[in-house]
Amino acid sequence: MSVELFVTDKAGLTKFYEAIISKNETYAPVEKFGKYDFKRVSSFDACNPDAPIAQTMSAKPLFFPRSAKIMKYTADHSGTSVKETDEDSLAGKRVILGMKHCDARALQVLDKVYNWDYIDTDYQRRRENTVIISARCDKAETHCFCTSLDYDVEHSDAMDVAIVNGTDGKVFIEARTEKGKVFLKEMNIEQRISNNEFQVTDETAPAAVKQQYEAFAASFRLKMDYTEVNARLSKIFDSPEFENVSANCISCNTCAFVCPTCHCFKISDEKVKDTGVRYKSYDSCNNGYFTLMAGGHNPRPVKYRRWRQRALHKFVYYKERFGENLCVGCGKCTNSCPVNISIFEVVKQVSETVSV
Amino acid sequence: MMCRIDKVIQETPDIRTYRLKFKEEGIMERFNWLPGQFVEFSLLGSGECTFCIASSSTRKESFDCSIKRAGIVTADIHTGLDEGDEVGIRGPYGNWFPLEDLKGKNLLFVGGGIGLAPLRSLIQYCIDNRADYKDFTILYGARTSADLCYKDEIADWRKDPSLKVILTIDKPEETWKENVGVVPKILEEVVKPVVANTKVITCGPPIMIKYTLLSLDKLGFAPKDVITTLEMKMQCGLGKCGRCNIGSTYVCKDGPVFTYEQLKKLPDEF
Repeated sequence: MSVELFVTDKAGLTKFYEAIISKNETYAPVEKFGKYDFKRVSSFDACNPDAPIAQTMSAKPLFFPRSAKIMKYTADHSGTSVKETDEDSLAGKRVILGMKHCDARALQVLDKVYNWDYIDTDYQRRRENTVIISARCDKAETHCFCTSLDYDVEHSDAMDVAIVNGTDGKVFIEARTEKGKVFLKEMNIEQRISNNEFQVTDETAPAAVKQQYEAFAASFRLKMDYTEVNARLSKIFDSPEFENVSANCISCNTCAFVCPTCHCFKISDEKVKDTGVRYKSYDSCNNGYFTLMAGGHNPRPVKYRRWRQRALHKFVYYKERFGENLCVGCGKCTNSCPVNISIFEVVKQVSETVSV
Repeated sequence: MMCRIDKVIQETPDIRTYRLKFKEEGIMERFNWLPGQFVEFSLLGSGECTFCIASSSTRKESFDCSIKRAGIVTADIHTGLDEGDEVGIRGPYGNWFPLEDLKGKNLLFVGGGIGLAPLRSLIQYCIDNRADYKDFTILYGARTSADLCYKDEIADWRKDPSLKVILTIDKPEETWKENVGVVPKILEEVVKPVVANTKVITCGPPIMIKYTLLSLDKLGFAPKDVITTLEMKMQCGLGKCGRCNIGSTYVCKDGPVFTYEQLKKLPDEF
């Protein structure tokens, strides 16, 4: 009998979600024109925690907003003064429902860059104050490849509470972190058990959870050994293949925008008359001007070099620096790419040009 | 932190040196930097730029940023900022020249154009600690005589018999009586440096650095004895924004100062 693994059914899960939404500042995928984005929700009917990966933006903007004010100022002839920015609307205690495990994993990868050397306190506070509830997928979608990467998808602790669908309509709920255990207590887990909405599990439950994982893992179209890929890519800098794989790219940067791990940003000023704001906004290494310096020197002046940076940053450089791939295999970039470039195929094609 | 511009020096037609002091009392005393480090310089409304500190902390009443008019923000700085105006400064960031390794060595500085700015910080530092170093040679070149920076200070350096200063310009000019030719050529043909126990510190435009490194190689300098400082597009200075990455290196944190030996190991993307 596990004290952290409970079982319920669809109706029990819905009640649980409803209770979460009524008691907490909750974010969940909300549909618009067939696509989903994470929004603040006040009722279960307004959202869909089971939204498909392919149609869903990542929850990255809840931790690293698309554009954020970092400074406000006035500057006129009498001098300059810098003012505080608005209060951080993402800093409060909150819950996120419907984050896929790949999305949750992406935050663990981002923690590495945000917490080395200079600590991004805004990001850190948002992380600390968030409880992540994530349903494990039942079936891989077309461009998914999370199980190929070097993290433990099955036992991931990237989410605080994991939801796993069993057979016969059973739904397992498991606290994966201390924060998750505390959260389940706060959500009156004991009362739910005495109401018979939730049941404590018996010794067959872990096997049922494992069985669901095995069926899920078997459903992947895309499979590749990324340990080998890492090794191959680390000696491929001069490969002409990068020109071929990037030829169709239109440098729209959509891939970086939807990517849950891309974190490059730019700092820009907007000033009207005497009042100005400094923003930190998403940027991408696929932009031609990303490394363009005043005076015209650009270390990555052509598209294939920028694509090479994208691929190698994800699978070589970040790994060297922080020990992780800067990719979680969610397939969002490929789902959204207007010219159908698949990062999985790019990496496969390029890495096949060298031997290990 | 806000700084007030104490003095503006028009070095060349497109380079100005801004002498800065922190507006708030007590900050200047606590602002410590070493030669090679940089700051993020804000002109509110235009944006932020990365500039090396062009003076030494051994002369701490103020600090200098020498700025070449090259892009949008630098053009706004040149046209919009004068003595008494205020700018925002973040820093100091990045690493510094390996000061301990330079002790007891002959120093050869090779600079081109605005590339003398980071070297000037180190030159001032070494002059102020002159006893720690042996022979001291400065080779400095620019496209034309009008493009040479720090002319007054170079004149002062020349008065010091323990410093050897060699100037060159790319093409002959009527009134110019010194060397003519690009920096690597003068390095090989005129300076002919002693290799033993010498450290070379170089900075300049990418094309000059490229050929200077080849010349130094030809002269027999070991890559570990050649030190340069890289220019990369930077924004945050904090190892976050991803802009200055060369491979897994963050130029803003691991650099901007690198030995040629270190540069050889990086992907060719700078």
